[in-house]
Amino acid sequence: MSDLKKQIIVQLNLKDLKPEDIGDDQPLFVEGLGLDSIDALELIVLLQQEYKIKLSNADDGPKVFQSVRTMAQYIKAHQAQKE
Amino acid sequence: MDKKVYIRSIASISPQKTFGDMMSTDELLEYAGDKFTCVEPDYSKIFDPKLIRRMSRIIKMGAATAIECLHKSGVKMPDAILTGTAYGCLEDTSVFLTKLIENREDMLTPTAFIQSTHNTVGAQIALILKCHNYNNTFVHRGFSFESALLDAMLLLNENENTNVLAGAVDEITNNSHRILSRFGLYKHHASNRDLLLSNSKGTMAGEGASFFSLTNQSSPENIAQLVAMATFYKPLDIEETEKNIVYFLEDMSTDMNDIDLVILGKNGDQKGDKVYDHLSHSIFKNRETIGYKHLCGEYPTATAFAVWLASTILQNKMVPGFVGVEKNGSPIKKILIYNHYERIHHSLFLLSA
Repeated sequence: MSDLKKQIIVQLNLKDLKPEDIGDDQPLFVEGLGLDSIDALELIVLLQQEYKIKLSNADDGPKVFQSVRTMAQYIKAHQAQKE
Repeated sequence: MDKKVYIRSIASISPQKTFGDMMSTDELLEYAGDKFTCVEPDYSKIFDPKLIRRMSRIIKMGAATAIECLHKSGVKMPDAILTGTAYGCLEDTSVFLTKLIENREDMLTPTAFIQSTHNTVGAQIALILKCHNYNNTFVHRGFSFESALLDAMLLLNENENTNVLAGAVDEITNNSHRILSRFGLYKHHASNRDLLLSNSKGTMAGEGASFFSLTNQSSPENIAQLVAMATFYKPLDIEETEKNIVYFLEDMSTDMNDIDLVILGKNGDQKGDKVYDHLSHSIFKNRETIGYKHLCGEYPTATAFAVWLASTILQNKMVPGFVGVEKNGSPIKKILIYNHYERIHHSLFLLSA
């Protein structure tokens, strides 16, 4: 999850944050990290670029991007499916 | 124009210390090489950190200047935001195009794309202010600032009790500087201290952001009056330029002898400076003249810095030390600015105290 946090920081240009500042279960949007809809698009691109995962169903978005942990779980599940 | 246009407040981020707390216009900041770089404030003190992460340098420069200008004016919500920029948000454009190539037109991130348009600065100012009023960006190379200002003047002439925020911003990026250098626009080993006297090929690249809070309401708080502005395109020869300047003053019922100071756009390029040198010995012969591009460099919206300088002189009733000219004698009440960009875009501004 630490790598994923680093990737999120770079992708979203969160210069003032370190990976340890982002809680595993901290909400990414609104009251948590305060991300918005443009960040959601950036995170979709991140999944595509780093993990070759295309988020095909838009309804999955709120679940997948709930926190770093839910993102990591989604990536793991996707990688397991591929294997 | 029926109504008078007043400058209520000004703000500028330039290669000199012209902004906010760090303002110090006594000493010239020296630059060697072929370009200037803006002295920028600590933006974390101006913007919400969540906003900053999506703002490139030009957006921060433009928005900070606009906010500071508005703050000084006491106007909470301008009736219009008008921005001039020749090159727009080059850094974001460069990021977007690079990713477009590297990722083979796939997986493009939205931020650089959204922020790469020319009107991003004007839009960002409106977003920060939550201002839904008239908002326009003018991209007309060496007339970009002039066009924004003309729109501002027309709005102020057509409406009562109106406040307009108008300005211009342009940045140098590594890519843009590399490309423009290939056209032979810049000297290789120049120094801004003697730039205006260098009389050789090329100049030094400049950048900056200057904003003005303009109003048609008379007030002792106004720092100057923008009496008139005019532009002319590709004059045939120096004589035509000379005539245009004389007509401009005649139109304003102003005699050359009424002008206390002339600010010229000399930039050290021998071809471009010919007209300034000629005018200094003809119609401006007995006028006090100063240059300003040794302070900010050459760029298409440099005239915004010239208007900032003229306003500063009228406000403080003296020429700041960094200009490097001792101006003694009668107080400065009327300033004429004459500038050309690449001998193509010529502009005139008349300001009075």
